[in-house]
Amino acid sequence: MSEREIAYSEVNDDIVRSLVVTGRNYYITLAVSILVTFACFFGPWFYQIQYGIGAAGMNHPTVWGTYLASFIFWIGLSHSGTLLSAVLHLTNSEWRKAMYRSAEAMTLFSVMVAATMVMVHVGRPWFVHWAVPYPNQMEMWPNFRSPLMFDVMAITTYMTGSIIFIYMGTIPDFAAVRDRTTGWRHHMYVLLSLGWRGTDTEWHRLHWAYTFLAVLIVPLAVSVHSIVSWDFALSIVPALHQTIFAPYFVVGAIYSGTAGIVTVMFVLRKYMKFEHLITKLHFDNLGKLLLVMSLLWTYINAVELFTGWYSESSEEYEALGFRLFGFYGPLYWEMILFCAVAPLLLISKRFRTSFVPMLILSIAINIGMYTERFLIVATSLPRQYLPDAWGMYYPSLVEILIMIGSFGMFTTLFLIFVKIFPSVSLYEVKETLPEPQPKLRTQSESGAS
Amino acid sequence: MAINALGLFDAPSSALEAAGELKGAGFEAPEIISPIPIHGVEKVLGKKKNIIKRFTFFGALFGGIGGFALAAGTAVLYVHVTGGRPVIAIPPFLIITYELTILCGILATVAGFFLSSRLPAMRDRVYAPEAAVDKFAVTVECEDSEQFRRAHEILQNAGAEEIRELGGSE
Repeated sequence: MSEREIAYSEVNDDIVRSLVVTGRNYYITLAVSILVTFACFFGPWFYQIQYGIGAAGMNHPTVWGTYLASFIFWIGLSHSGTLLSAVLHLTNSEWRKAMYRSAEAMTLFSVMVAATMVMVHVGRPWFVHWAVPYPNQMEMWPNFRSPLMFDVMAITTYMTGSIIFIYMGTIPDFAAVRDRTTGWRHHMYVLLSLGWRGTDTEWHRLHWAYTFLAVLIVPLAVSVHSIVSWDFALSIVPALHQTIFAPYFVVGAIYSGTAGIVTVMFVLRKYMKFEHLITKLHFDNLGKLLLVMSLLWTYINAVELFTGWYSESSEEYEALGFRLFGFYGPLYWEMILFCAVAPLLLISKRFRTSFVPMLILSIAINIGMYTERFLIVATSLPRQYLPDAWGMYYPSLVEILIMIGSFGMFTTLFLIFVKIFPSVSLYEVKETLPEPQPKLRTQSESGAS
Repeated sequence: MAINALGLFDAPSSALEAAGELKGAGFEAPEIISPIPIHGVEKVLGKKKNIIKRFTFFGALFGGIGGFALAAGTAVLYVHVTGGRPVIAIPPFLIITYELTILCGILATVAGFFLSSRLPAMRDRVYAPEAAVDKFAVTVECEDSEQFRRAHEILQNAGAEEIRELGGSE
């Protein structure tokens, strides 16, 4: 699996080094991302809480804005970990092993950021516990017929599942790191590793538990983004009320998630010095995956346009016309360029195995995918049925800042993660290496001990 | 107090061989501690029972029934009729059922994993830190020094690089 043969101990050394040795660049990046998080996320959010939800540009008829676009974007990004980790685990794909840990971390943190975006969107986050079914003095219960309650259940389950999935897979690695660290780190890893030793029984149990979790998590991930799509599709808004929405969202999610993985892999490879663990092979395979997802995504987009046109209903025509040629029309074509046309470059193997072009493409795809989510909310609600109910939506400064801040928050969480969790799975990378063979044992040697 | 013999090997095949010989010599439950899961352990040390699947199944079953009961029960407790449609609405409640099936399935799987692999460990157990890097350890519990001597001999013949005597696990 590697370009040159590496020893087991070298894998341990590399990973422990990545956790313990911290350069100046890391601290600078961490400081900047914390700063961005506070200045662009918590600051404006605090302002919005004080001033009221009117600080955002959302108003009748467009009561959904960039907060929900960001929410879908982050939930979408979270599908990377599940796909790469669970699906590739179940299909025994060896190449997943060097990268799935970071993919799972991406899942976890993007779900967290997504959940926070909902809190920002609802305006009065201190009432968020009303969505939890618990007996209360008002004798009221949440309405489980609402897609918003589907969301609460799905995202809670997804977040719990993702935390458990990433943690279970890391227990053996925590144990390996435990033996090599000192001080507070050692105490932390003693707790995190739970006393794992690596006995044959423990490996057996872990294998099965992990497999069952993977089996449970794949349908969960599919359901999560389907449910997010129903937040929109179960309304009767033209251009949202479509049966294709669930697969459209799931495909889009896996697409942007895979692009996110490419970005993260590039950064890890370069800055954590994992050049010999994350290789051209990984980028090649990810590129193929991206190409397939981009073709699927393009197809579904075509279907969306086709069904709108074929419906011959004037409100669908209006909504689609507004999306393609209205105020936000240029954004639509930017999305098509980044997500449908540019990825065709991936047909070339040379492109797939070149690191910098892959990085640029992956970022472009995610810009395109964010645009897609923005267009879903910003071009459907302003054009509903009666023309006198039309109205435009422009994001306010607060909304734009919070959108930027959400990236800062994700980066901060990820940077903290790479110093606590071994960001490449130790034992599974070892499994991809050739098995150690017994040293030559002659009669005379076998007596030595 | 029982003592433990622990032999360190540099390859999984020799560790397996040693474990097999110990088992053949009548030692109870030799264990292999390894940095990676070893293929073919079950052939040597016998098939292990997989009880986690029961946890997963019953957890998911509980979640499914509980999920539907939650949605339907709360709908009955707080009746909120919209558009003359049924209070217990099957399609949306199936989504809640689905999510809770998975949630409880996951939680039960974790519980099953912890219980069956005896984690988290509350006391020190036989361990060799090298076995988290690149060595493969075979350990066996011996009742007395005579047994330890036999175990030592078997491990040595199987090609152990190093043999340690460790305190008992009790």
